[in-house]
Amino acid sequence: MSFQVIISGIAVGSAYALVALAMVIVYKTSEVLNFAQGEMAMFSAYFAFMLLSVFGWPFWAAFPATLVFAFLLGMGSEFLFLRRAKNPTILGLIIMTLSLEMIIFGLVSWKWGSEPQGLPFPIDSYDTFTLGTLFVSKLEVLTCVTAVVLMFLLFLFFRYTKVGIAVKATQLNNNTARLMGIRTSRILMGTWGLASVVGAVAGLLITPASTLDPYMMWDPLLKGFSAAVLGGMTSLPGAAVGAYIVGIVENVFGSYVSIEFKSVVAFALIVIVLCVKPSGLLARHYVKKV
Amino acid sequence: MRKKNLWTVGLMGALTLFIMGVPAWAADVPGVTDNEIRVGQWAAMTGPAAAWGAVARGADVYFKMINDEGGIHGRKIKHIVYDHQYNPAKTVAGVKELVEGPGVFAFVAGDCTACALAVRDYMIDKKMIWIALGNAWSIKPDKHFFFVYPNYVDEAAIQTKYAWEQMGKKKIAVFYQNDDYGKGGLKGVERQLAKYNAKVVAEIPVEAQDRDLKSHAMKLKEANPDAVIMWVNPTTAVIIRKTAAAMKFAPTWIVPSTLGDPELMNKVSDGLWEGTVFSMMAELPDSDLPLMKKYQEAFKKYGPAGERFSLFTMAGIGFSEPLVEALKRCGREVTTERVIQELDKMKDFKGIFGRITFTPDDRQGQKEVFMCEALKDGKAKKLTDWITVDK
Repeated sequence: MSFQVIISGIAVGSAYALVALAMVIVYKTSEVLNFAQGEMAMFSAYFAFMLLSVFGWPFWAAFPATLVFAFLLGMGSEFLFLRRAKNPTILGLIIMTLSLEMIIFGLVSWKWGSEPQGLPFPIDSYDTFTLGTLFVSKLEVLTCVTAVVLMFLLFLFFRYTKVGIAVKATQLNNNTARLMGIRTSRILMGTWGLASVVGAVAGLLITPASTLDPYMMWDPLLKGFSAAVLGGMTSLPGAAVGAYIVGIVENVFGSYVSIEFKSVVAFALIVIVLCVKPSGLLARHYVKKV
Repeated sequence: MRKKNLWTVGLMGALTLFIMGVPAWAADVPGVTDNEIRVGQWAAMTGPAAAWGAVARGADVYFKMINDEGGIHGRKIKHIVYDHQYNPAKTVAGVKELVEGPGVFAFVAGDCTACALAVRDYMIDKKMIWIALGNAWSIKPDKHFFFVYPNYVDEAAIQTKYAWEQMGKKKIAVFYQNDDYGKGGLKGVERQLAKYNAKVVAEIPVEAQDRDLKSHAMKLKEANPDAVIMWVNPTTAVIIRKTAAAMKFAPTWIVPSTLGDPELMNKVSDGLWEGTVFSMMAELPDSDLPLMKKYQEAFKKYGPAGERFSLFTMAGIGFSEPLVEALKRCGREVTTERVIQELDKMKDFKGIFGRITFTPDDRQGQKEVFMCEALKDGKAKKLTDWITVDK
C-alpha cells in the first residue's frame, strides 16, 4: 500500500482532529453536541480575513486577535444564547446550536457575501517537502504539528490545572461540583470559549488549502463529528484517534476501492464501530444512575 | 332595524361586486397589465449557493435600465425575485407564490438544476415561459422553455476539439462533479475523443462538498495526462489546483464557462489560475462590445454598491436579453403564445452571449463558445473566435 496514501490520510486527519476536539470539549462538560462549531470556526476565519485583508494587519497580530475573538465568540454564544433557555433539555440545547449555526451562517453571508475569498496565509498551501516520490505540503505539516501540540496542551490543562479539574468535576456531576464551590456556569462558558478557539485554529488551517466561504466548514465538521463519535464523544484522545482513522480510511478507500464513495465511507465506519462498541473506541461505557 | 338590514344588504352587495369584480380587473394574460409586465425569478440570494444571487441582481439591473429607457412599448418590467436558498422545496413554494399571488408572465434564469426539476411540471401546467439558466441536457425541454446556455455536452466537445487539434493534447483526463453538470462534461469529452478513436486516460468523479481531494489528485497524476478537463464548482476547482500544485502535478487545465471568472478564480487560488484554458459563453467583461460597456455603466448606476460586475452579473443580463427582445418584437400585444412565437423566430440574436437561435424544435439557443486563457492579473485573453459545435 502506498505510504503516500497514509501520509495524506494523517494530514487530513489532523484537521478533522481539531474539529473533533472542539466538539468533544463542549460535549464533555454539557452533553451538548454543538453543531454551530463549524460555523463558529468559519466566522473566526472571516474575522482573520477582515483583519488581514481589510485592515491590513500583519499575521502575528491578526491570528492571535482571531483566537481572542473566537474565545469571546464561544463564551458569548453560551452566555447570550444557550444560557437564556429556561429549563432546557439536552435536545433543546442541541436544537439551539443548530439555530446558532444558521444565525452565524446568515450573518457571515450578509457581511462578507458568499463569493469565495482567499485567506492570506504566511505559507503557500502548495509548498511541499518531498522525499523521493513522497510529498507532504508545509501546510499539512503545520496542521499536524499544531494538532499534536494542542492535544498535548489540552491534556496538560485537563490533567494538571485547577480550572481543568473543575471542568472535569462539572462534567461528572454538575450539582455536586456546584456544592463544592465550582461556578459551573462560568466553567461551561469557558469551555465554549476554549472549544471555539480550537475550532478557529482548525478553520485557519483548513482555509488556505481551499477557499474562504460560508460553507467551508460543512465537510470538515461532518468528518470531525464522525471522528468524535468514532472515538467516543467524551474522550479527547478518542476524538484524535478517531480523526486519524477517518482520514486514513477515507484516503485508502478513495485510492484503492472507490473514489465515488470516498466521502461516505466515514459514516459507514461509524455504523460499524457503534455496532461493536456503542460508546466509541476510547470512551468508557457510561451508565447514568437514576 | 330596517336601517341595519339595509346596511347588511349594502355590505353584501358590495362584497359580491368586489368578488365578481376581481377577475374583471385582472388582465387576461397573467402578469401583464396596461403598464406593467411582471417577470419572476427564483434565486439563491442567501444560503449555501448565495453566490448565484448575483445572477438575479444582474437581471434586476438590466430590467431597471430597460425601464429607465422607457420600458417596452409603454410597459415597465417588474422583476420579482424569490429567494429559494437553493432549496427545491422552497422553489416550489416560491414559484407558486409568484404565479398565484401577484401573477407573473414569465420566468428568467432560475438556478439549481434540482430546483428547476422540482417546478418544471408546475411551470408547464401554468404555461409559464421560462428563459432557463439550466440546460436542455439536464432539464427535459417543453414548448414553454427556452435554454440559452450552451449544452454542457457540446461545450465539453468544443474544449476537447480545441485541446486535441490546436494544443496537441492527446492524453486527456476528466475531473468531473458527480452530477448532471459534471457528467454532461464527461460525456462531451468522450464524444469528441471517439472521433479521434481515443479515450479519456482517467475519469475521476468528485462530490460537490468534498474538501479533501488528495486521492483525486493522486489518481489524476497517476494517469499522467497532458490536459485535465474539469467540470466542477469553483471551490472544488481551487482545492484540486492547490492539491495538484503541492504534488508538483502541472498539466494544462481546461475548464468550462461556469468557471469563466478569472478575476475571482485568480484571487482565491493564490495566483494558480494563471494559464488555465477556459471556454466562454459570454463576451469577456473587458470586451469592446458597446453593449458590454452600456451594461457596465448601468451596473454602476443601479447595481448594489461594492459589488463586482462578475460572470454571474453578466449571466443575469444575458438570460434576460432574449425575453426583452421578444417582448419588443411583440409590440403591445403581449400574450404567452405571441412571445413564444417571437422567441421561436429568433435567429442569430446577439446580446452579450453568443448568437442565440430558437426554433420550435430546437430550444437550445446558443451553440457556440470561444476559448480563452487566464492571465496573471486575473484578466483573460481570447484564444479563438466563437467556435460552433460540430455534432
